[in-house]
Amino acid sequence: MIPTAAIPALLSSLAVAQHDGAQAAPAAAAALRDGPPMYLLIALLPLAGLVLCGLCAAWRVKSKLPAWLTVACLAASFGLTLHLFLTHFNGADTTPMRVLGFRWLHWSWGSGVGESFTSNFAFYVDSLTCVWMLFVTGLATLIALYSSEYMSHDLGAGYNRYFAAFCLFVFSMSVLVMADNLTLLFLGWEGVGLCSYLLIGYFYKKPEAVAAAKKAFIMNRIGDLGLLMAMFSIFTAFGTVEYARLFPMIASGVDASGNQIQMSTWLTVVTPLLLTAGAFGKSAQLLLYTWLPDAMEGPTPVSALIHAATMVTAGVYLIARMLPLYDADPDRTVLTFVAWGGAITAFWAATIGMAYYDIKRVMGYSTVSQLGYMFAGLGLLTSGGAVFHVFTHAFFKATLFLCCGAVMHGFAGQLDLRRLSGVWKMKGWGVVGFAMLVGALNLAGFPLVTAGFYSKDMILAQAFSNTDEASIAGSRAVGWLLLLTAGMTAYYTFRVFFRVFTGPPMYEPGPDAHAHAHDDHGHDDAHGHGHGHGHDGAASPKGGTPEEHFHPHAPGWAMNLVMAACALLSIAAVGVYFVHGHADAHGHESHGGWVVSMVDHSSAAMHAPHGGTLFGRDPHALMYWLSGVVGATGIALAWFFHGAGRTTSHTSRADTLFGLVPGLRTVHGAANAKWYVDEIYDALIVRPLNILSHVFHLIDQYIVDGIVNLLGAFPRMFGRVIRPMQSGEMHGYALGMAGGVGVILLVVFIVSLLVN
Amino acid sequence: MVVVGADTADRIKPAHGGPAGGWVEPPPAPIYPVALPGRDGTGHLRRGARAAPGTDGNGPGSGLNQIINPTVFFVLLVLGAAGVCLALPRRGRTPQIVGGLVAGLAAGLLMLALGLKAGREHLPNVYFYIFSLVGLAAALRVITHPRPVYAALYFILTVIASAGLFLLLSAEFMAFALIIVYAGAILITYLFVIMLATQAPEEGQEEVLAEYDTQAREPIAATMAGFLVLAALTAMAFRGLPNVPAPAVANPDAMLASVPRKVDRVLRNHGLLESGQSADLSRVAEGVVVLPGGKELPRPEWPEQLRMTNGELLGFNLLRDHPGTIEIAGVILLMAMLGAVVLSRKQVQLDEEAKSRRVTQLAEADAAGDPAVDSPLGLTQQPAHTGGGGV
Amino acid sequence: MTTLAQAGYPDAMSHLTLAHYVAVSAIMFAIGLIGFMTRRNLIIMFLCTELMFQAAGIALVAFGRYHLDFSGQTFVIFVLTVAAAEAAMALALVVLLFRRRDSLSAEEWRDLEG
Repeated sequence: MIPTAAIPALLSSLAVAQHDGAQAAPAAAAALRDGPPMYLLIALLPLAGLVLCGLCAAWRVKSKLPAWLTVACLAASFGLTLHLFLTHFNGADTTPMRVLGFRWLHWSWGSGVGESFTSNFAFYVDSLTCVWMLFVTGLATLIALYSSEYMSHDLGAGYNRYFAAFCLFVFSMSVLVMADNLTLLFLGWEGVGLCSYLLIGYFYKKPEAVAAAKKAFIMNRIGDLGLLMAMFSIFTAFGTVEYARLFPMIASGVDASGNQIQMSTWLTVVTPLLLTAGAFGKSAQLLLYTWLPDAMEGPTPVSALIHAATMVTAGVYLIARMLPLYDADPDRTVLTFVAWGGAITAFWAATIGMAYYDIKRVMGYSTVSQLGYMFAGLGLLTSGGAVFHVFTHAFFKATLFLCCGAVMHGFAGQLDLRRLSGVWKMKGWGVVGFAMLVGALNLAGFPLVTAGFYSKDMILAQAFSNTDEASIAGSRAVGWLLLLTAGMTAYYTFRVFFRVFTGPPMYEPGPDAHAHAHDDHGHDDAHGHGHGHGHDGAASPKGGTPEEHFHPHAPGWAMNLVMAACALLSIAAVGVYFVHGHADAHGHESHGGWVVSMVDHSSAAMHAPHGGTLFGRDPHALMYWLSGVVGATGIALAWFFHGAGRTTSHTSRADTLFGLVPGLRTVHGAANAKWYVDEIYDALIVRPLNILSHVFHLIDQYIVDGIVNLLGAFPRMFGRVIRPMQSGEMHGYALGMAGGVGVILLVVFIVSLLVN
Repeated sequence: MVVVGADTADRIKPAHGGPAGGWVEPPPAPIYPVALPGRDGTGHLRRGARAAPGTDGNGPGSGLNQIINPTVFFVLLVLGAAGVCLALPRRGRTPQIVGGLVAGLAAGLLMLALGLKAGREHLPNVYFYIFSLVGLAAALRVITHPRPVYAALYFILTVIASAGLFLLLSAEFMAFALIIVYAGAILITYLFVIMLATQAPEEGQEEVLAEYDTQAREPIAATMAGFLVLAALTAMAFRGLPNVPAPAVANPDAMLASVPRKVDRVLRNHGLLESGQSADLSRVAEGVVVLPGGKELPRPEWPEQLRMTNGELLGFNLLRDHPGTIEIAGVILLMAMLGAVVLSRKQVQLDEEAKSRRVTQLAEADAAGDPAVDSPLGLTQQPAHTGGGGV
Repeated sequence: MTTLAQAGYPDAMSHLTLAHYVAVSAIMFAIGLIGFMTRRNLIIMFLCTELMFQAAGIALVAFGRYHLDFSGQTFVIFVLTVAAAEAAMALALVVLLFRRRDSLSAEEWRDLEG
């Protein structure tokens, strides 16, 4: 077992000559600052927002008041986060800060190690937390503002419910990120799962939405089992679940009472594996991803916030936070597994994304794919790159989702890219188109001007930088896979863009086109008949369903504002790459910008080796070119097949390709059917469980209930036998008495005989 | 049967010495008149004697065997039960006679069986058999006769039979008291009430025999229960009888001292005493009456009537030994009388005229504010309490 | 015990003879018990209880005779007293009951059923 503290010394001696700027040594996690309790409000303000929205619901508020209250609370929370960052983490001192709320759980049944359990409601803020909280609260505020208009057709009970769940979500996420111990993290973990359920199933009258909500929650729970077991084993081994005490123990290998900790396989391999299972469940990776595309049934702001930027990144956060434990294994088995899991998921989701027609779902698969990138980054030992990708992805994916939402909102729920075309050219959709373009460029990793390029690049480069010493098996293969996926990502992203936003303007209204002003809350529909913004140039859409007087409804000021803001932030994130963070106590600076340096100052710092080469050159430099080329190729292909020469919305040159290449149609069909994963799960897991539950139901009904009824039947039978004895007839009683006397006498007689 | 008198007290002394070698005065235990084989006068086993099987009062079947063979006994009981069960009244053609005969047979055989073990010298009087069989037969008829009046009459027969048994037991006062009180008073009351409570016969019918009289209720179960009680009772009684302490011998003549006037009268009648003289009875317990003049009259010379009669002895026992109980018995009778009067206070049916008069009287009383006038004869109208049938 | 009745103090009785009297008493008691349980006419039921009193009386006197103690007969006097009192009360009650239901059947009175 090599203490992690020794690795930097080892690697620095190797890497200093190779590359400028070795990775910084991890910050000493032993020291802690005490923070002012004011920062508790970062989490408590959204909770207050929840209470206020609840009051709105109780008083049956029918205006947009809950939205403004939510925005206010979240903005205040963001302001506090900013203050926290600027005051405490913007300098050279990056000691983690502890903000104590109240003593929550504390049990002690002995005085030895592992005989007391403490879990307080306290925050452990280090630079990783800071970064996370900044984009969580920031995006939450923006998306709350977006939702204020997006959900405005549902004013009343639905509106209040939405914003209440929204506030609860932000509270849970804050608690998750800022928790100072695993139990509190789990509280937040479950909270975000719950809110995801509540918000996906917002349209609770729609069966698909309800099913999707249940699916999300249940699949999360499968992962939660892993997280719980990991927590138990951590407590058993280390005697604590608090980070502040855990990290020094992991680092030094010595527990609180001075005993050497047994770094068994269970602790170094299985426990991180269980943590990974939890993370994969929450972040929709590998086998547990199928809930995320279905989660698009919820309102689009929900998808933007929860399923793009915050909740699904909780898994990444978990692994980043517990990286010291992952690193305690000299063979890095679990990290390898994480890398491969992420890469495979990325590839897999991208294949589906290339064939799908529902643009929101394509974005969903894209999220799964990009999350795969983040996990791959963690597994490839660039935690900085992974977190940077989280950061940038949050913004551009949110932008993309918001734009899809605008399209859905404006075209009465139409999301099929075969039925929409040339939206950018329609009046009032300029901002949407621009934001979409920015987001798509980021997602595709357009060279140089997009933050997505830089963040993806870091991960790709790291894949090739890993030497054998890093013990990440197949690191280069992962790299090639991710590169291929990058090309596919670019292709399918621009497939969506070119089909929907360019070309001849035409549209068909979606399933909610029959909406009236008095419709029920079940549909995400157009708000009545045209606000006046919605009249486009083409009066009679070609190929559209002749719905009388359907006009697309361009987004209002709130939506436009937020989309624009997100797009600009996505661009501004580029600058983050070039802003260098402060050097840490050792004088090392990080390569990769502010986010990476923040990560490197936290407990999630990793000592990424820099030894590998790509085609004989430095991977970082070459990757700029390589990924740029791949991305551009993807965009060009998309343009060729889906943009150029397209005259209708539902045909494109891609269709001719199907005719040319035999078998491509079946492959495409299979990909469109999500490779039948859902069906396989249904047959393998859901059906047997259903049967099992029926069996248990029968057991419960007949055996358990039967036993209980049988127990109840005995007194009844007894009573039925006894009751005739009380007939009220004197003779019966007399008979009984005489018989009883006779029996007693007989017994006495016989006993006296026997005794004598 | 050996009569043990006071002169046999020395037989109490055991032939051998006591535990400490000296002679130990035995406690004044009642003397067993019956010298059972193997037992001495105190009932304990003689030294060296082994208790005969079934006679030592300790083994199974002991005691019972002395009186009657257990198997025979229980078989006869079962027979008797069958007989009684058959004899109970039921609808239609009944085997009552057969049942009665069987029961009688069982009873007779039982008496016979009891006599076998007893031996000639321990058999009761022949009159015992007569009275007991009559009594039991009448008792059986009491419970099996469908007509209540006949049952009561058969009961009177039972009473007479048991009076006969009392006579055999030297309780002549009780015998006649029984007849007078039971047969003469109680049963007559029963007959009165039976007559009172019989439903009137309708036109054309001779008499009405209620359904509840003609059919016995659960005859088999009742018979079984009853004979179960009988079996247990008799078995235990028979087993315990030999252990019941023997009757104490009391000197009957000592009581003569309590009736000096009777003694004087009898002696006077026999010319042994002049009028105005009285005998000295101070030594009558030894059997000597001292006449005035010093002449001693030993017992063999006593006149025939100079002994206590049953009534006198009973009277002494009643009044001397149980005075309080007599008082209580009197109170019981008084309460019974009062109770009967209260219970059967009948609502007298007023005729119409009297009713209307009564109503106006009540109305006046109400108007005047008086509490409801109560008729001194207890003829208050209490309509609220009437449940039906006018109690 | 060869004479019918004695004037004066009798000789003691053997327990074997006592057995005879006890047997008679027990049989009469059992008959009375069976009658009580079998017959439904209230008056006949009371009559059967009187029969049981009789049997008890015989037993009492027999034991008194056996022990040469007059308490047996004394007690029979009291039993007689009680029997008389009880008969009076019982018959008064029977009359009342008869007036209620117009029937002497004991089965009419089963209000405590169930």
